[in-house]
Amino acid sequence: MNERPVRLVVSDDLERGRASVFFRGLLALPCFVWLGVWTFAAFLAAVVNWIVTFLRGRSPAPLHSFLARFVRYATQVFAYLNLAAQPWPGFDARRDYPVDLEIDPPAKQSRWTVLFRLPLALPALLLATILAGTNANNYTGRANGLDIGVFSLLGVAVLLGWFAAVARARMPHGLRDAIAYALSYSAQSWSYLLLLTDRYPSSDPLTAVPGLPSRSDPIRVALEDDLRRSRLTVLFRLLLAVPHYVVLTLWALLVVPAAIVNWLCALILGRSPQPLHRFLAAYLRYQFNVSAFVYLVGNPFPGFTGAEGSYPIALRVAEPSPQGRWTVLFRLPLVLPALLIANAYGALTAVAAVLGWFAALATGRMPLGLRNAGALGLRYTAQTYGYLLLLTSAYPYGGPCLEEAPTIAIRAAPIMTPAGSPPAAI
Amino acid sequence: MSRRAPAALAARSPGSDDSTGAIGAPRHPSRLLLLALIGGGVMWIVAAHYLSASTVPSGLHLPHVSASSLFSRSFLRRSASYQRFLDIDGLLGEMALLLALGLYAWRGHRFMRESAAGRIGTGILLGMLGFAIVWIVELPFGLAGVWWERRHHISHQGYVTWIVQSFFSLGGLFLFVSLALLVAMGLAGVLRRWWWAVAAPVFVGLSLLFTFLTPYLISRTTPLRDPQLLAVARRLQDREGVAHVKIVVQHVDRYTTAPNAESGGLGPTRTVILWNTLLNGRFDERGIEFVIAHELGHLAHDHPLKGVGWAALFLVPAAALIALLTRRRGGLARPEAVPLALFVLVALQLLAAPLQNVASRREEAEADWSALRATRDPAAARQAFRDLAVTSLADPDPPTWTYVLYDSHPTIVQRVAMVYAWEARSRRR
Repeated sequence: MNERPVRLVVSDDLERGRASVFFRGLLALPCFVWLGVWTFAAFLAAVVNWIVTFLRGRSPAPLHSFLARFVRYATQVFAYLNLAAQPWPGFDARRDYPVDLEIDPPAKQSRWTVLFRLPLALPALLLATILAGTNANNYTGRANGLDIGVFSLLGVAVLLGWFAAVARARMPHGLRDAIAYALSYSAQSWSYLLLLTDRYPSSDPLTAVPGLPSRSDPIRVALEDDLRRSRLTVLFRLLLAVPHYVVLTLWALLVVPAAIVNWLCALILGRSPQPLHRFLAAYLRYQFNVSAFVYLVGNPFPGFTGAEGSYPIALRVAEPSPQGRWTVLFRLPLVLPALLIANAYGALTAVAAVLGWFAALATGRMPLGLRNAGALGLRYTAQTYGYLLLLTSAYPYGGPCLEEAPTIAIRAAPIMTPAGSPPAAI
Repeated sequence: MSRRAPAALAARSPGSDDSTGAIGAPRHPSRLLLLALIGGGVMWIVAAHYLSASTVPSGLHLPHVSASSLFSRSFLRRSASYQRFLDIDGLLGEMALLLALGLYAWRGHRFMRESAAGRIGTGILLGMLGFAIVWIVELPFGLAGVWWERRHHISHQGYVTWIVQSFFSLGGLFLFVSLALLVAMGLAGVLRRWWWAVAAPVFVGLSLLFTFLTPYLISRTTPLRDPQLLAVARRLQDREGVAHVKIVVQHVDRYTTAPNAESGGLGPTRTVILWNTLLNGRFDERGIEFVIAHELGHLAHDHPLKGVGWAALFLVPAAALIALLTRRRGGLARPEAVPLALFVLVALQLLAAPLQNVASRREEAEADWSALRATRDPAAARQAFRDLAVTSLADPDPPTWTYVLYDSHPTIVQRVAMVYAWEARSRRR
């Protein structure tokens, strides 16, 4: 896979100082004042850069360097504010900052895409807003008052990460990577808008953050399908799912009492009974398959039974295992933070689906980044509901991750490989 | 409701159908089968005779009424031109529909690769995609119709609104198709060639259920609140012998200016639905009274139930024919037979439309007759028919081909002629 021209570099060790985390917002204030000043200059530079790049077909090196530095500094400041990094970033874009960007030198760009860069960047900025909110995505450094930041993936991850870091002096890996993912995509979007690159931002979580952990969670996703999409089924995708929604609703009527019985059994026995586990796992798989179809993560029309291995975007649910009775007893309050994140991931999946709908209708293919972003959202949601339904005692993992051999959490799509060759695992 | 519905006081007929089915004739027809076919044919004719029985006196002589005696020349020219465009648009749409479904029947099985579902799930997908293609193919013709209606101030619906609404209304259709295919393919998996013999009664049952629920499926309705009209409706219910019928108003003025009314439901759900475009001052109270009486006439003569009967008469042979014709594709148990089944079903529906229109026109005439007897106000009836034609630009005397293919109601001229006939008959008495 080609290396992207704008890359996030993460060397953060997850250690956090409690006091620094507690006062993080206040500590970041001077950096934001400086970022605001820098933004004004960057705006003027961006206008000049746009005109010159349009005329010459390439960004001038000094302007490129200045704007790249601006984007790097903004990323560092937001990484600090949003708990993705520990050290205070200062007033210059330090090279050794634990969350930094690498931006390639200026390259030739198509004048057409330069001319229409602003409208072209709008879908990416929309997705960036869903990921990072209007605060971390706003490189002007000005506060926005009421914004949707707190409901974005980044906002929710920061909120939960703050409590975790204050309590344990350590940032959870998953939440840090979720924040890094949002920052990475925002940085790519702004770099594209500011003409630092003509490569469209990729929302692929697997390439956005370096050094993703390999995991083998009890509830995991394997992507076996290609990116081909039938235009006809894409056009009518929502309506084609109507029968599935009816079946899901009817199934849910049985799932609620089954989940209650399962909870009582797990409380007494310390594990889920096999028949109930099988029934609830089938429901979860079916719900996942339908969502994958609706959100264009998968192409084929799913079956109605939730049978294992019946869909190319496969949700794998491990066999029942012993669970701590205390965590079973308090499962409902315990799952609430995960539901918050699942909600944010749900927004990401929905927006990726809307953008992917247009792309797939036009090209007959789903962009890899949007497909993987959607798959990440669906995987997290499935893990959350699996945890709620006592299918596992493992808490949902909040960030993107790789598959631990031989099974994968998320795998790269075969579209990147020559026809006929097996899909390449990242 | 027919394409000429604005001019009509339509009974909501559940009769049109939907099902899938097939004939499972043995490979070598035996005498027993022949006898069964003959017996079935006789039963069909007897049932059709019973269903088409009417209280309109047989041999009633309709006097000749000239359209020009009822309407101005300019109106006749305008309405003929208006209807001609819609009729031709509709005909072209149907031809395109048949062509598209024919191609889909031929190549539609290729969409099986878009399914990860089992046999029935894949069949459901193919069924839904068939109707999705129908929607795409009919879109330009539908838009042309909206453009024409807007141009004549019959509709104020925006193009985008129309597209969005028709798109999302596919959701209900998809659900229905899924249910029908679940029944048909499920039975075909068990009963093989004879699935239709069980499926047809199931579909008739569903049709009955749908007829019962129809009034609840109509959106944007409120109870009739006008005390005068309510008193009129109660009086008419007594006269026509139908008690406990709800009268509601459907708010359609956002979309159309055309007036209309409908009736539907069975037993406790029997309802008369008046479009609010009928109550906006263009019709006088006597005219509205006649309209209500007409709709009550449908209910008094059990037309909704008869509609289910007609549906049964269509469904049984249609299901058998589908079963027979899909055998080359392995029968309806196999998903690849679904596109062909759709084509056969739609083709049969189009072929049966003239026959269904005959039955529907008889029921409409009976409802008119019933209304005349209840109101005893022929002048109001004549005026109501004239107003209906003028406000909806209905051609009072359409060409024969459109009358046969599309008109589920007698023409305005025929309806006015019936009013004269009733008048003459009551004078003789």
